[in-house]
Amino acid sequence: MPPTARPRQPGRRLSRLVNIGIPYLWLGIFFLLPFVIVLQISLAEPRLAQPPYTALAEWLGDGVLSIRLDLQNYLLVLSDDIYLAAFMNSLKVAFFCTLLCLLIGYPMAYAIATAPSRWRIPLLMLIILPFWTSFLIRVYAWIGILQTSGFLNNFLLWLGLIDEPLAILYTQTAIYIGIVYSYLPFMILPLYANLTRLDRTLLEAAADLGCRPFRAFVRVTLPLSRAGIIAGCMLVFIPVVGEFVIPDLLGGPDTLMVGRMLWTEFFSNVDWPLASALAILLLGLLVIPFVLMQRWQLAAEDPDR
Amino acid sequence: MSVAIDRRALEPWQDPSAVPFVRIERVTKQFGDIYAVDDVSLSIFQGEFFSLLGSSGCGKSTLLRLLAGLDYPSSGRIFIDGADVTDIPPYQRPVNMMFQSYALFPHMTVEQNVEFGLEQERMPRRERAERVGEMLDLLKIGELRKRKPDQLSGGQRQRAALARSLAKHPKLLLLDEPLGALDKRLRENTQFELVNLQERIGTTFVTVTHDQEEAMTMSSRIAVMEAGRILQIDTPTGIYEFPSNRFVAEFIGSVNLFEGRVMQRDGDLVTVETRLGRPIQMRCPLPLALGKPVTIAIRPEKIRLSAAYRDDAVNQIRGTVEDIAYLGDVSIYHVRISPDQVTRMTLANIQPQTEQELTWGQEVAMEWSPTSGVVLTD
Repeated sequence: MPPTARPRQPGRRLSRLVNIGIPYLWLGIFFLLPFVIVLQISLAEPRLAQPPYTALAEWLGDGVLSIRLDLQNYLLVLSDDIYLAAFMNSLKVAFFCTLLCLLIGYPMAYAIATAPSRWRIPLLMLIILPFWTSFLIRVYAWIGILQTSGFLNNFLLWLGLIDEPLAILYTQTAIYIGIVYSYLPFMILPLYANLTRLDRTLLEAAADLGCRPFRAFVRVTLPLSRAGIIAGCMLVFIPVVGEFVIPDLLGGPDTLMVGRMLWTEFFSNVDWPLASALAILLLGLLVIPFVLMQRWQLAAEDPDR
Repeated sequence: MSVAIDRRALEPWQDPSAVPFVRIERVTKQFGDIYAVDDVSLSIFQGEFFSLLGSSGCGKSTLLRLLAGLDYPSSGRIFIDGADVTDIPPYQRPVNMMFQSYALFPHMTVEQNVEFGLEQERMPRRERAERVGEMLDLLKIGELRKRKPDQLSGGQRQRAALARSLAKHPKLLLLDEPLGALDKRLRENTQFELVNLQERIGTTFVTVTHDQEEAMTMSSRIAVMEAGRILQIDTPTGIYEFPSNRFVAEFIGSVNLFEGRVMQRDGDLVTVETRLGRPIQMRCPLPLALGKPVTIAIRPEKIRLSAAYRDDAVNQIRGTVEDIAYLGDVSIYHVRISPDQVTRMTLANIQPQTEQELTWGQEVAMEWSPTSGVVLTD
């Protein structure tokens, strides 16, 4: 449809400008500005001073402005295998945690969305309730559960399933448990929001056309909840790649993850430029695939427009 | 005698030896303590265009869902084509339904929607493509095959939904308010199209509607429902001309009701005493006891109106013209016949309105013949 021509009204334009301007201003101050600062630090050199990095631009006098861009931080990160290993491990952990959250969260979201309406709010409350306790405390609680003399081992010993305590704490398994537990609500909530909007008559129509319930789920429910699946997976995957607290508390000392690496460079080694370079690379690693995916999705939705 | 034979083929319900295609036997459906369908028995014959007519909440949609298998009856049995399908799930019934909201799959194109049911049948790909093409041609939506439902207009969506529900060649097609979402003009055209389509493919149709005009235009027979029960099953003519009770008489079209008591019986002619002057004589095949309270129902267009009062007329009531509504083809007259009753009648405007003799406030006489209405006992 051609856009309808509208007479220009100055008052309208101003209010439009304000309406669009406020969110952009917000994004500019709280997203773009910090990003530029981090980018700038990543191109500097470390030094023992306050702040612990050199300035990019220096006024040398006689009309000479010297700008020094140090790419060594990036070259170091890209050449040292340990950073690559940390990146790969973070991506692996994030991938499997997202998959586990999806496998556990989808049935839960589906059950809540199809429960009788008087049950939905209480069930959702149960999902949200853990947020009322600090994230850190909940992760600490897992130490109590998973340690050698913890609840889990005592319980399994009592059941007679094992003869001696399992070493779960300070392993990769503990990280998976902690991350899946902590991020499950972020998977369930968008999926729930999506699945409650699903028109139930579509499933009736599928059944009427000869489709058994499981096939109807695969052919109708699943494709129609794609937006919820994508939203849930992004909400889990992106923060888990950079997750620092859970691997630090539940994982062993040899756990390599980007988040921990960043923390070490920043606080133990006080190498802000290297840490910033790591952060920028991590951001690129996450943003580029999602931009590509979004493009591909838009193209798939409107093949003939 | 060929006329009689034709009549039997067209009206199988008149033939006691005909085997019904769909048989609903004493079906009840309860939701909590509400009886949505209450002890309904019904036979529908092969090739019929059968309508369930009633206001919202009368149980017509529930009855349709029971036929589709989307709900199961609390008691009673349902037979389709001789087989007991009462406990058969919807995906195994030889029945398809067109939903009121159309329920087209939004993530599939028109073509994929139509193909969906055939895929479930594991029909070979070639045959499937052929059938889809056939259906799209039948409903004249071939050029929309690659569109998604949200790129279609209401009328196009209705056609796509119809194509999808017909694609599997069901033995029985159920239509829930098939024209409900269309605007008035489109609805009128589509009514005839739907009837032509049904005659061409010969599938038995059962539709649900709240629109009496729609039911009258399309149906071979109509079942009028109220509060979970069927009040009358008959042809459109039968329902209109010979309603079996007050509810049906008032639900279909408009009607004038006169209450009275049976005063005399002479063959199938009864004389009813009312508070409106002279007794009224009506044809009535039912055996009625003397003194029984009855209601006489006369349709507005069956009443003649004249300025002159004649002593020899059989049924005549006097009144005063209170209102005239000119609708072009007809005019509606409201005539007050007693302090608490106004009668309504329609007269075709055979003469131009300006030359008509009746005006507001005029004393008039209303007349009708003993065969122009029915005597109701409830």
